[in-house]
Amino acid sequence: MSSLKLTDVHKSYGKLEVIKGVDLEIQSKEFVVFVGPSGCGKSTLLRMIAGLEHITSGDLEIGGVRMNDVDPSKRGIAMVFQSYALYPHMTVRENMGFALRFAGVAKDQIAKQVNEAARILALEPLLDRLPKELSGGQRQRVAIGRAIVRNPQVFLFDEPLSNLDAELRVHMRIEIARLHKELQTTIIYVTHDQVEAMTLADTIVVLRDGIIEQVGKPLDLYDNPANLFVAGFIGSPKMNFMAGVVTASGHGGVTVELTNQGKAHVVLPLSGPAPAVGAAVTVGVRPEHFGLAGSGGPEITVAIDVAEHLGSTSYIYANTKSGEQIIIEREESRHELGHESITVAIDPAKTFLFSAAGERLR
Amino acid sequence: MTGWAFIAPALILLGLFMIYPIVWSLWMSFQVGKGMNLSFGGFANILRLTKDAVFIRALGNTFTFFIFQVPIMIVLALLFAVALNDATLKFRGFFRTAIFLPCATSLIAYSTVFKSMFAIDGVVNQTLMELHLITAPISWLGDPFWAKVLIIMAITWRWTGYNMIFYLAAMQNIDRSIYEAARIDGVPAWARFRYLTIPMLKPVILFTTVISTIGTLQLFDEVYNFSAGSGGPSDSTLTLSLYIYNLTFKFMPSFGYSATVSWVIVVLVGILSFLQFLVARDRRTS
Amino acid sequence: MTFAMLRRGIVYVLLSLAAFVSVFPFYWMVVGATNTSAEIIKGKTSLGSALITNATAFFTQVDALRIFWNSGVIAVVATALTLLVSSLAGYGFEMFRSRLREKLFGFLLLLLSIPFAAMMVPLFVMFSQAKLVNTFTAVILPTIASIFIIFYFRQATKAFPRELRDAAKIDGLKEWQIFLYVYLPVMRSTYAAATIIVFMANWNNYLWPLVVLQTAENKTITLILSGLTAAYTPDYGLILFGTVLATLPTLIIFFLLQRRFVEGMLGAVK
Ligand SMILES: Nc1ncnc2c1ncn2[C@@H]1O[C@H](COP(=O)(O)OP(=O)(O)O)[C@@H](O)[C@H]1O
Ligand SMILES: [Mg+2]
Repeated sequence: MSSLKLTDVHKSYGKLEVIKGVDLEIQSKEFVVFVGPSGCGKSTLLRMIAGLEHITSGDLEIGGVRMNDVDPSKRGIAMVFQSYALYPHMTVRENMGFALRFAGVAKDQIAKQVNEAARILALEPLLDRLPKELSGGQRQRVAIGRAIVRNPQVFLFDEPLSNLDAELRVHMRIEIARLHKELQTTIIYVTHDQVEAMTLADTIVVLRDGIIEQVGKPLDLYDNPANLFVAGFIGSPKMNFMAGVVTASGHGGVTVELTNQGKAHVVLPLSGPAPAVGAAVTVGVRPEHFGLAGSGGPEITVAIDVAEHLGSTSYIYANTKSGEQIIIEREESRHELGHESITVAIDPAKTFLFSAAGERLR
Repeated sequence: MTGWAFIAPALILLGLFMIYPIVWSLWMSFQVGKGMNLSFGGFANILRLTKDAVFIRALGNTFTFFIFQVPIMIVLALLFAVALNDATLKFRGFFRTAIFLPCATSLIAYSTVFKSMFAIDGVVNQTLMELHLITAPISWLGDPFWAKVLIIMAITWRWTGYNMIFYLAAMQNIDRSIYEAARIDGVPAWARFRYLTIPMLKPVILFTTVISTIGTLQLFDEVYNFSAGSGGPSDSTLTLSLYIYNLTFKFMPSFGYSATVSWVIVVLVGILSFLQFLVARDRRTS
Repeated sequence: MTFAMLRRGIVYVLLSLAAFVSVFPFYWMVVGATNTSAEIIKGKTSLGSALITNATAFFTQVDALRIFWNSGVIAVVATALTLLVSSLAGYGFEMFRSRLREKLFGFLLLLLSIPFAAMMVPLFVMFSQAKLVNTFTAVILPTIASIFIIFYFRQATKAFPRELRDAAKIDGLKEWQIFLYVYLPVMRSTYAAATIIVFMANWNNYLWPLVVLQTAENKTITLILSGLTAAYTPDYGLILFGTVLATLPTLIIFFLLQRRFVEGMLGAVK
């Protein structure tokens, strides 16, 4: 069942168009993550769903009902903010029960719901404290608790973890995943951190400049990025891109010569239409997909800039002959300590090809 | 829509009790005549200004108060704020409260207290003579020069702490690490004040300067009470506001002309505020 | 080391001097209330024995209860209304920005430069036409919407977290409820600072009450004391006694709210 639906949604601030036509359908109980670089319009989109920003044009449906002009409190949503937005003059208990108080819920019913949410989040010992007496992680849990108490159809999270330190971030990430399992509600979660997106999401929505670039399951996006932008955004470290020119083109594949790489040719299978001979293309290889020299496939030799050895893996930062910076991920690479350069093999089966316009060629 | 609802009460009150009277007074400033018998006089009132020795006196006095009082007070307030912003200083709270305390007095209280302290045989003259700073008592209330000095001292006493609080508040918003970085870089204390504190406080300094300018140019209460409403001795503390009051309520009321005088203050404040903004901006670019 | 200590020493001496100069007039006022007028103008700085005489003289010459009641009613009502109206406006200007309202706000700031003297005569005529001269209404009405306090609240509102308002909206509060249940309690330091400023301004307000309050039984303590001082040979003992009484309310308010005052100013200066 569809829980939330956006149809051709636009948002403009005066002349500045920030959301440029978004269509999206979110299933019930789905954990959806909006991810994209800072300023791409994630928060704006989320705030339109929440009712905090007016929708310039297009339709928003929640639970099958058009919600464009419905008051935020009546949309069946709850929101967790980046700054937590706890009311500083109220205790944790009052913070969590505040919405119910204004919805006219009876006192004992409020107490019951607050206690239930506090139990789920292990907040019971903190109920009578003020926000300023809590740590960052505790505040975050209270903010989530405040959302749970309202029993919403859809949870909205706007970068909820970005004010926490790295360790706590991982901890809270796991907690949110657990919570989703337990509550079984739809969650829309905004982040600029693709690791958060990959680990939490059932479905990732990649946004750029107010446009959806791709929607899909985390691993689908990783295995099958629709374009150069998604390929570069999903995956850590980033995918490596090398310039090339098509030297032969036929049914079922092309041959690409990498620019300035000592005549290294990559032969790539293609099922769709192939680019013409002479077309400029970009070849993408993930750091973890480079093979050892001699493992098959064309080979390139790159100059090592810096190598980071983490024990189980190593990251080698290197420059190609045409000056592109690439990262090579290797397991067991101690024998490369002290080397000036390294030769790696490109496996055509794990190589992506993009047109000059950034479209994926498959 | 909601936005207008929130500001509507204020706008209605301001419209009724500020904008409407201002427009009326602007219209009045072109009227001549006594009492309520007014007729249009064009620029007659402005001409009268140029020939009115009392007005020129009042203008000069007001300007004198402004020129001396505002800078003295702002500088003192800044110095106190810097001294009190030092976290290692002992009794900070006491000093801060003490220096701020004068603004908690009622205007009339401090006028009276000052008048009695500065009486010819009063405590101030006695102390100064015991310290051999003066040989004969100063006639603070009777001498045109010292009467002005007394007014300036009184206003400064009253308002320095008030301005200081603004600066202190602003200083607490400055990131301490900036000063720590400067100290590590070997920047001396005076240079930290001159090149860090002052520029960062500039918006507040500008704000307090403009507010003080407005206050001093509208000076009324103090001079009225020190001189029992006369602006004496011999008009030496007569300010524009007091002159307006006298024109309106003391002499045969001359509403049109008094309105004209009040617009002189508006123009002065306008020019001076503009100059202050200009100075503040120039420093930024250089 | 010694240079730093010397400098520190000078700072203490200067601050002590400033503190002395600031506080001495208060001491003088209290001591003066116990001395005779003749002793005061001769500069007597020690406690005297004329307190009872001064008090008796004050209470026979001045209907103190009535006069303080007048001052109190005017100051309390005017302060409450000013805080309400001006904070609503400050909130409105900052939270709901529009080009028109920004222009309006700039225009209001310009009005700040117009002296009260310029409005005094038209205001007086307005209130006499409305038959309100010599009423508290006439004293209070023109002071309620204060541009300075609106500006102050707008500045302070800039530090009010917007996400708090968003959270409250999602929690189902209407805009006026957000103002009442979230903004007001969160901004209480700002209100405390404004209370001090506005209460003092009203308690001490002089020129307009002087113009508009005409009969003795309607006057404020400020006006009455001013009248006593203007006498040809003022009785300073009596006046300083009254002055102590007149200063007490503002001092009490100040000490009650002092802690919040600095916090409140902090918000406004950001
Ligand atoms: N109230 C506003 N007025 C004008 N522009 C805005 C406003 N809010 C956001 N924007 C602009 O909209 C774009 C998207 O902002 P936002 O949704 O906050 O990005 P994200 O959350 O993805 O970082 C940004 O370029 C931002 O500058
Ligand atoms: Mg954002």
